[in-house]
Amino acid sequence: MYFRHNKCIKLRYLKNPFMNRIQLVFVLLLSLFTQAQNNTIAAGEKLTFTASYNMSGLMTDLAQVTMETKEVNTSKATLLRLRCIAQTYSKWDNFFKINDIYETYVNPKNLTPYLHKREINEGGYYKKMQYNFDKGVNKVKSVKTKRRKDGTFWDENKNFNISANTNDIVTTIYYIRNLDIHKAAVGSSDNFTILFDNEETSMKIKLLGKETITTKIGKKECYKLAISLSNSNILSGSNDNLLWLTADANKIPVLAKFKVPVGNGELKIQSATGLKH
Amino acid sequence: MKVLITTLSIIIAIIGLALSILPFGYIAILPIIVSFILGLIAFKQMQKDGKNTTIIKIVFAILIISLGLSIYNALKPNEINIDQETIEQQKQSDEETLEELEDIEIDD
Repeated sequence: MYFRHNKCIKLRYLKNPFMNRIQLVFVLLLSLFTQAQNNTIAAGEKLTFTASYNMSGLMTDLAQVTMETKEVNTSKATLLRLRCIAQTYSKWDNFFKINDIYETYVNPKNLTPYLHKREINEGGYYKKMQYNFDKGVNKVKSVKTKRRKDGTFWDENKNFNISANTNDIVTTIYYIRNLDIHKAAVGSSDNFTILFDNEETSMKIKLLGKETITTKIGKKECYKLAISLSNSNILSGSNDNLLWLTADANKIPVLAKFKVPVGNGELKIQSATGLKH
Repeated sequence: MKVLITTLSIIIAIIGLALSILPFGYIAILPIIVSFILGLIAFKQMQKDGKNTTIIKIVFAILIISLGLSIYNALKPNEINIDQETIEQQKQSDEETLEELEDIEIDD
């Protein structure tokens, strides 16, 4: 459905992924077939959302979700860090504290991922995943770290092949924003593959049309997209999970509504700064 | 009947108190209202029968506290706590990540 600019990318990297800690938070969805030129995402962008959950018919604000980008320079390259953080509001911290961080270091020109880290801290549960992508040969080096009850950590290392269109969740979220949605017909759909917990999950996105909605950053004309994951209990259903992206050059996600097995919730934008356009 | 209404009022008041302690916003208001109505009925009947109304007064006191807590929690602004330890851990993590990225070469 979406027009994608092809661009060849060759990357070489390597280093032993060695991890110890990091703090992270959040969530959503996708992957790509070929890499497109990044015309949407700039370094220094920061989007802030409120995550709410429906409790007995009342929407209750649970957490703050931020999506921010930053330029990262190494001695050999300039990368773009895409970071999503989900943190419960302090009033919830005594009951169930969440502090999850998802981040990916990508090529700023085409959003090709090199390193993905996901660190979740949820009410005492801790888990960290790291993927070192070698897109040139479609291989991933994965390290999973978990915490035992006695406070010590254990690692699980894996190397496996992925398909050419597989990406991590953060890259996929940003990649959706980079799609040429204005060229897609209403009702058309596209599939993406996400690598999550060492498994490739297929995701379908369907363009439902345009809608004008009122948000904290103003009244915006938006693309309304339906998202569904196959082989998963979460985000299943045809039109149950919806995402609104502004129908402009920034394609800011301003609202998301989702249904999970234990209820439903939504993400609403609170502020957007550092936009490219 | 009177005993049943009084018992229900007490149980629902306790549920209301529990919900008002949790940061669920105005969700505790519903049991507070129900408990108040039941308590009022029981109170009137007890007064009519010349019985001791202390237990109902205690229920009303619980309801007032619940209502106060509920309103306080609902009006409390949404803030996140970022402690110094978290900031330090993140900083260290970023440094480790930067070391891992050193070998990456981009050819575009």
